[in-house]
Amino acid sequence: MKKILLAPLDPVHDNAAKLIQRRLSAAGYDAVCMPPGTTPEEVIAQALKIMPDVILISRTLGYQVAEILGHFVDLADAAGLRETTRLGVGGMALTREAGAELGFDAIFIGDLDLDALIAFIEDKPNPDQATSSDTAPQAKPDLTAGYTYQFHNPQIKSLLDGITDQILSWAKDKTSDGIERAIIRAEAIDQGIDLADAASPIAQQLRKRYLEFCDPEIRSSYLDGHLPPGVRRVLPSETERLPKLLTESTEPPHTLRHHGSKPLFFVQYGTGCPVMDVMHIRTSQAWGADGVLHFDPSWGAQREGLLSGLLSHEHDGTILTLENLKFINAYLPTQTLWNIRGHRGLNTPETQVIGAAAGADLFKINIPYGATGGGTDPARLTVDGVYALMLAAKYGIPFDIPGNDELSGVPPHKTFAGILIMMALGLKLGARPIPKPLLCNSPYMQMSGEMDENSIDINAAKLSIWREIVDTPVWPGEPVGFMTHTPERVQSAVSTAAYASLAASLGVDALTMASSDEAYSKGPISAQARVDTLRGVREMVRFVGNAGYAKTSRSQQMQERLLEGIIATLQLVSRRGDFVASIYEGLLGSPEDGLYPGRTGKGTVRERQV
Amino acid sequence: MTRALDHVLDALDIETFLVCSSAEEGRRLAEQLMAELNLPKGDIVFLEYASPGVRVRLRAYLHRPGDAYLWLAGDQK
Repeated sequence: MKKILLAPLDPVHDNAAKLIQRRLSAAGYDAVCMPPGTTPEEVIAQALKIMPDVILISRTLGYQVAEILGHFVDLADAAGLRETTRLGVGGMALTREAGAELGFDAIFIGDLDLDALIAFIEDKPNPDQATSSDTAPQAKPDLTAGYTYQFHNPQIKSLLDGITDQILSWAKDKTSDGIERAIIRAEAIDQGIDLADAASPIAQQLRKRYLEFCDPEIRSSYLDGHLPPGVRRVLPSETERLPKLLTESTEPPHTLRHHGSKPLFFVQYGTGCPVMDVMHIRTSQAWGADGVLHFDPSWGAQREGLLSGLLSHEHDGTILTLENLKFINAYLPTQTLWNIRGHRGLNTPETQVIGAAAGADLFKINIPYGATGGGTDPARLTVDGVYALMLAAKYGIPFDIPGNDELSGVPPHKTFAGILIMMALGLKLGARPIPKPLLCNSPYMQMSGEMDENSIDINAAKLSIWREIVDTPVWPGEPVGFMTHTPERVQSAVSTAAYASLAASLGVDALTMASSDEAYSKGPISAQARVDTLRGVREMVRFVGNAGYAKTSRSQQMQERLLEGIIATLQLVSRRGDFVASIYEGLLGSPEDGLYPGRTGKGTVRERQV
Repeated sequence: MTRALDHVLDALDIETFLVCSSAEEGRRLAEQLMAELNLPKGDIVFLEYASPGVRVRLRAYLHRPGDAYLWLAGDQK
C-alpha cells in the first residue's frame, strides 16, 4: 500500500488536503494529513519518520508562496527525501509554471482530478493527457438514436397525416431553379468535378447548365471572377500556418455536463471568415461545446446560386461554398457535431448537397419559418423544402426545425404546429426530425405576460409538451434565452446559463447557446464572449447537478393551453386544405402576430418537365 | 519576440470602474481612456452608472474577420 503525506503549508486552508486524504483513503492508499499551519520543517520531520512515497503540499494564500514552497523543496533535497519520495503541489496560489520552477514533480491546478492524482502517485501517465494516437476515434453521438417518433396523440397524428399528404401531392410535379441547381451540383460532386474548374470540359458543360439557373451576380463570379461587394478570396498564405497553430492539444476539452451524456451543447458560428471561424470553433470546443452550427449571410439566401471557392466576407455570416465548408470541416475536432443551416432561402436544396459532401452531421430545414421570418416565398420554399427533406433522408442526415418565428411575435402554439408539420413531413419522406422550441422572451411573451411571474413555467411547458405528443428528441434553441440578453456580459452569460440548466434538467437532448456578445450589435462576436457563456453554463449545470425543476400546476396549465392551441392551428390548416395558402393567409403566423409571408423567389415555382 | 497584442484573436476588452458623477461623464472618460491607451476605433460595449461611478466594458477589435491576422503570421512577420 502506497503511503501519502498531505501537508497544507498554509495557516488556515486545509479543505483540499482533507478532501484528498478521504478520497485517497477510499481508494486504498495510506494517506496521512497534517494540520494547517504546518511548517516546512515539520513536514520534512514527519516524512523522515514515515517515509511516504509521495508528499502532496497545498497552498491557498498568495503571499510568500515562492519563499515557503522553495524552502520546502530545498529541505526535501537536503534531507535526501527526493530519492525515495516524489513531491506534488496544488492550490489556489499556484500556477503550473511557478510549481515547475520551484522543482515539484507534479503541479495540480483547478478542480480536483483524482485520476490525475492517482496516476502521479502510481507514476503512470496522466490518463487525461493521452495523445490522440492512444485513443481510438469514437463515433459522433446521434441525437435521434433511441427515439421511435411514435405519436402519442392520435388527433394530432391524424391532422398531420392529412396536411402532409396534401403538401406532398402539391409539390410532387413541381420544381424550381434551386432544385435544378441541386441536381447539377450533386452530379458534379458524384463525378468529383469542381464546377469552377476552367480546364475541364465536363465541368464547363455542367457549369453552363448550372449558371442557367443562377442570378447574374453569381454567374458573373464564375464567368468573370467578379465577387459581390465585401467578398474576397482567401489566399493560400492566410491558411498555410493554421495547421501549425492548431496542433492537437494534450489537454482534454472541458465538458459542460456534470453527469450523464446529455444534453449536447451547441454554439453558432459565422464570423464571415472561414479562418476566424476555425479559431472560434476550436475555442468553443475547448471550453465544452459539443457541436457548432454554420451561419451564412442573409443575402446569400436571397440569391439564386452559390459562389465557389474559399471566400471571406466582411460582415456577419460565412458564405456557403463547398470549399469554405470543406476547409472548416478539415479543422473540426473529431467529436464535434456540425450543423449546416439551409432552411430559409433560395439555395435550400443545394445547401443540403454541399453540406453532405463536406461532411455535415445535421441539417436545418423549416418551411413555415423560412417562408415567413426567413423571407422566402412560401410556394418556393415548400417545393424546395420538400426536396431538401428528401435529400436529408437520402443522405441519412437528421434535420432540426428551429422555431424562431416566435421572435416576430407568433404565439408558440402556431410555431409548434408548423414544427410538427415539418416533423411529420420529414418522417413521411424517411428523414429524422428534431424539433427546436425557442426559449425566449418573445414579443408574444411580453404582451401575454406569461413570463412576468417567472421564466420557468412557460418555458418548461414549451419543453415538456413535445414528448406528450410524440417520442422525439428535443433541442431548444436557437439560442436559448433569446431576447433576454443585454450587452452586459455577466447578465448575458447568467441568463443563458439559467435557460440551459432549466433545459438540461428537463431532459433535452441538445441545446444551442449564445455568447455573451449576443446583444452587442456593433461588432463580431469575440472569442472571450464565447468562453464567458460556456463557462457560465458549466457552472450552472454543475449547480443544478442531478436535481431539477419541479413542474408547477401553472406550468401544467400552460402546457394544456399550448396543446389546445396546437390542435386548433392544425385543424385550421387541415380545413384550409392547402399548406402554402395557409402560410400566405397567416394560419401559422399572421401579420397581426407580426409575421408576413416571404417574397424572395415569388413566382419561381414551375411544373416539372417530364 | 512577437508583441502580445498581435496574439489577440479578435477583440480586446477592457473592464473597469471609473469614478465620476454621471453616466455622461463616465462615457466621456471611457472614450478618453481608449484614446489614452492608444486603442483607436474603440467602442463602449456596456456602461452603467450608479454613484460613485460607472461600470464599463470597452472594446477595440484588433483583428476583424477577414483582416490579416498577426497571430497567424508568427515569426514570418
